[in-house]
Amino acid sequence: MMIWDDIFLEVDFWINIVSIALIVIGIYGIVFSQHLLRMVFGLGLLEAGVNILLVKAGYQKEAIAPIVTQASDTMMSNILAATAQMVDPVPQAMVLTAIVIAAGVQALALSLVIRIYKKYGTLDSHVLFLAMERDRHLSLNQKD
Amino acid sequence: MQLIGDIFFLSGTIFLFLGALGLIRMPDVYNRIQAGTKAVTLGSILTLMGIFFYFPQWWGHLCLIILFLLFTNPVSSSALARAFYRNGISVWTKTK
Amino acid sequence: MQRWTTILFLTGLSIVLFAIITPLVLGQSPMLVGKLINASAVNDTGAANLVTAVVLAYRGLDTLGELAILFTAATAIGIILGTTDKTQTTSSPTAGFIVATAAKVLFPLLLVFALYIILHGHLTPGGGFQGGAVLAAAFFLLTLADSGNNIKHKVTQVIEALAGTAFIVLGLVSFALQGVFLQPWLDKGELGSLFSAGSLPLLYLALGLKVGAELANLLSSLANVEK
Repeated sequence: MMIWDDIFLEVDFWINIVSIALIVIGIYGIVFSQHLLRMVFGLGLLEAGVNILLVKAGYQKEAIAPIVTQASDTMMSNILAATAQMVDPVPQAMVLTAIVIAAGVQALALSLVIRIYKKYGTLDSHVLFLAMERDRHLSLNQKD
Repeated sequence: MQLIGDIFFLSGTIFLFLGALGLIRMPDVYNRIQAGTKAVTLGSILTLMGIFFYFPQWWGHLCLIILFLLFTNPVSSSALARAFYRNGISVWTKTK
Repeated sequence: MQRWTTILFLTGLSIVLFAIITPLVLGQSPMLVGKLINASAVNDTGAANLVTAVVLAYRGLDTLGELAILFTAATAIGIILGTTDKTQTTSSPTAGFIVATAAKVLFPLLLVFALYIILHGHLTPGGGFQGGAVLAAAFFLLTLADSGNNIKHKVTQVIEALAGTAFIVLGLVSFALQGVFLQPWLDKGELGSLFSAGSLPLLYLALGLKVGAELANLLSSLANVEK
């Protein structure tokens, strides 16, 4: 039993490390990269890390997946005994929601990137900033 | 029985790791596709065979998954290679 | 200089995140809501998959909102990229013999797989969202194989509208019968059989068709951008 607990703590530690690494790499990609496509990929990594943390939050020790498999067992007490050992289904449903919304957000971001590339011909954020400033000045001058 | 499965798992993960390494280390796109398809296909098949030694009652599912992998992986890699070739990405010819 | 500030920022961020996460030990979550749902979900909904029970029965309104978000994203992409159905002018090259043959073989398999995932959502892992994604991939594969047979925007829009209406109508029928919006209302049936869990499979069918049509629409408008 002692050894099992030790392994459990180890697994817990590595899940934490992996999810935090994904979140930090994602934030690094969003904040520090100059390429717009890398920012979109960073967003995806960030979402993956957060989803791992959410799934981990619902886990119970020695629990099974939240699906009743003994279908022939129509005895209600048997089913209740089986469901008492299941992991929390609420975080899994939340992750399902989060994945679908993440897909929508990333598709929207990608379409914006495509539109920007069609207009300016580059995806480097510094070059884009200069080009957008120039356009703004041009439009201001035209108004005057 | 489970020892054989473990050997399959180990060799499968080694091939998967080599495929990932090849994706980073290979010089051009076509070589990377080679690494990413062949090594990864073999690695996944070996891992699935390892699962067979742990749970022999799942052989039907595993056969279907292996067939599907053998069918789809070459098709996707050929489509990728064709797209790269048509967009005029040249082949790496230097040798060190 | 900027390199060192970057490293400092990222190290500080990871330490803060680690300090926040460490108290949440694996396997010792309190499960305040989860225990109640585990105890009563089979009685309440008749679904063998408790995640489906949470998604469609306990948090059905959230799923409706999620559909609205997905719809908004698909519409916004249509506005941003412009739905120009000028496929004959931009003659993109065909995908070649291998992909065309593979698409012909894979399309019926993918279709069956998608419908299986959608209709067994209350029994096995899966459901409307996952099956809808496979459905969209199946139809997009045909477009990839032969750029001539494009996904028709009008057809997908009609399917999407009908499926969305069906989802809300199922909720409204429950409102008329029981006084609560989006509560499961048909006969629960035998636990674990295909025709069980009341109206949840119907809800998942509507949801899967809607997600599939939306994603197919989105993929084809991303693919049809003028070069």
